[in-house]
Amino acid sequence: MLENYLPILLFIIIGIGFGVLPLLAGFVLGPRHPDSEKRSAYECGFEPFEDAHMKFDVRYYLVAILFIIFDLEIAFLFPWAIVLDEIGVFGLLAMFLFLGILVVGFIYEWKKGALEWE
Amino acid sequence: MIDMFLQDILPNVLKILLIVVPLMLSVAYLTYAERKVIGYIQVRIGPNRVGLWGLLQPIADALKLLLKEVIFPAKSNLYLFLVAPVLAIGPALAAWAVMPFDDGMVLANIDAGLLYILAITSMSVYGVVIAGWASNSRYAFLGALRSAAQVVSYEIAMGFALVGVLIAAGSLNLGEIVLAQQGGFWHWYFIPLFPLFIVYFISGVAETNRAPFDIAEGESEIVAGFHVEYSGMAFAIFFLAEYADMILISMLAATLFMGGWLSPFDGIPVLESFFSWVPGLVWLLGKTAIFLFLYLWFRATFPRYRYDQIMRLGWKVFIPVTLVWLVIVSTAQVFDIGPWFTESAVITAGGG
Amino acid sequence: MESVIFYIFAAILLFAATMVITVRNPVRAALFLVLAFFTSAGIWLMLEAEFLAISLVLVYVGAVLVLFLFVVMMLDIDLAPLKEGFTRYLPLGIIVAALIVVEMIAVLNAPQFDISAAQATDGSNTKMLGRLLYTVYVYPFEIASVILTVAIVAAITLTLREHHRKLQDPAKQVMVKSADRLRMVDLRSKKQDGEGSES
Repeated sequence: MLENYLPILLFIIIGIGFGVLPLLAGFVLGPRHPDSEKRSAYECGFEPFEDAHMKFDVRYYLVAILFIIFDLEIAFLFPWAIVLDEIGVFGLLAMFLFLGILVVGFIYEWKKGALEWE
Repeated sequence: MIDMFLQDILPNVLKILLIVVPLMLSVAYLTYAERKVIGYIQVRIGPNRVGLWGLLQPIADALKLLLKEVIFPAKSNLYLFLVAPVLAIGPALAAWAVMPFDDGMVLANIDAGLLYILAITSMSVYGVVIAGWASNSRYAFLGALRSAAQVVSYEIAMGFALVGVLIAAGSLNLGEIVLAQQGGFWHWYFIPLFPLFIVYFISGVAETNRAPFDIAEGESEIVAGFHVEYSGMAFAIFFLAEYADMILISMLAATLFMGGWLSPFDGIPVLESFFSWVPGLVWLLGKTAIFLFLYLWFRATFPRYRYDQIMRLGWKVFIPVTLVWLVIVSTAQVFDIGPWFTESAVITAGGG
Repeated sequence: MESVIFYIFAAILLFAATMVITVRNPVRAALFLVLAFFTSAGIWLMLEAEFLAISLVLVYVGAVLVLFLFVVMMLDIDLAPLKEGFTRYLPLGIIVAALIVVEMIAVLNAPQFDISAAQATDGSNTKMLGRLLYTVYVYPFEIASVILTVAIVAAITLTLREHHRKLQDPAKQVMVKSADRLRMVDLRSKKQDGEGSES
């Protein structure tokens, strides 16, 4: 099994290399004439007057949390999907119960307006 | 040590380059195709100056980007600013490791292939978020946030859609998924899993931040979004990653729903033997090209979605649709109902 | 070969974990945590726990740490005030660390933690997991769904407190008719009658 993962390891290393090498090439071949105007953050002609890291809507966190939960659900669904033929009706009902309970949560989320964006 | 290098590492590196280099060329010519296709859709002719029919345009673009200055914004976090493009391109390329190009023609034939792709592509959100944060620019930050929330939302719909394929195929290995679709195009999963197929591809468009879901870089609102502060090669790497992801999503759609390298004429009396000389790779690339064309067609046709519409589509339409269809497909699979998921269908599929 | 890769991974893991707690910039710390999870996935993979290793990347790197990053991105870079409490919390920290060490030793010495059993299996270990999880361990599996549902409810009640929000209902927007938005009024001056009918 492990020998199949060696190409993947190499591929990840080469993928990173394909990110690093062009960057280096860009440095070597490109000109470098920085000035303060060029280096200032783009802001439609304004002078950037404060740090751009601002507090953002709490809903982004909510989406991230809900995403974790649903992602876990997907992680549970994957092994179930490929052995469905072997575990038969019992496995099917077990997953339906699992999904049913989570759908209750999903409906709650919907009714509470957690999925509404303005 | 040298033996190991010659036996294990060198052949693999060569194979990887055999995937990555054509991929890079495809990316270059995808940008050309994009400009040509959109040009003709808008009754223009697109690039036509550099080389015959403008065919050297992507090369010229690449050279131009290579010779441009890489600007570091004054207040940016330099270290993270440089890490971000690498985080974007690394996963976009590494995901290709498990892609089967023809029967047995796959670099890493792992059991959990599809899971690997889902996991590795879920990492691409880091490139965007880090780029937006490290730039220390309003537009970049807003673009990164929007993009991150959008990408994670559609990843769920995409994950559910993929579960449908797994139920039908009974394997996570991409090669086995293709082989499970053998026996003519009516066995391809886009028919029984049609709603999941649609959800998958639209989610794929949203995942890659392409029009009409390109709110992360909506020019009219937030300039270029998360990569507004990037220039030269640093920008080019984000560009490469985005297009490599587009090709990946298209090829996955072809593999999972359209029978991968299988010929569309399998099981049809005369045409099957007539087209039997065509290698599987050609079919796969042809199918991929169709999906790529759809990407470009969407971009030329649809106006950009509003942010609340994007989130609504992902959470309130796609997730319920996929859940309902999963229930239907899994029930059909367990009770052998319907024309597709019965045991006999699998046997005839094997027989051809 | 395998042991070489293991030591490289282990070294990267230790380095990344150390950086997580020593680096000053919280975003960089979160990124080192990503690296730490990624390399531990590599080590799990070397134990032939294929499904778990890739799930670790999918769930932790792909989801949990995105939330971390969201939270950390909002923090101020200037963390000097946080450091002031270091000595005050040191005893508590040491106690917690000691407890974790004891727990880890207890877990690693448990008979269930026999790695050779896992390595003896071959074939798809995702399938193996599936066969057991939804049949033998169905009860914990259902409890997991209850926990996840509780997590949904908790997350929503904690974050969505405000009631005043401007919502757009696309259906209503599409259904709108010109008569709902525009009222035709007669503004011709009618001098003979004295005044206009509308003010």
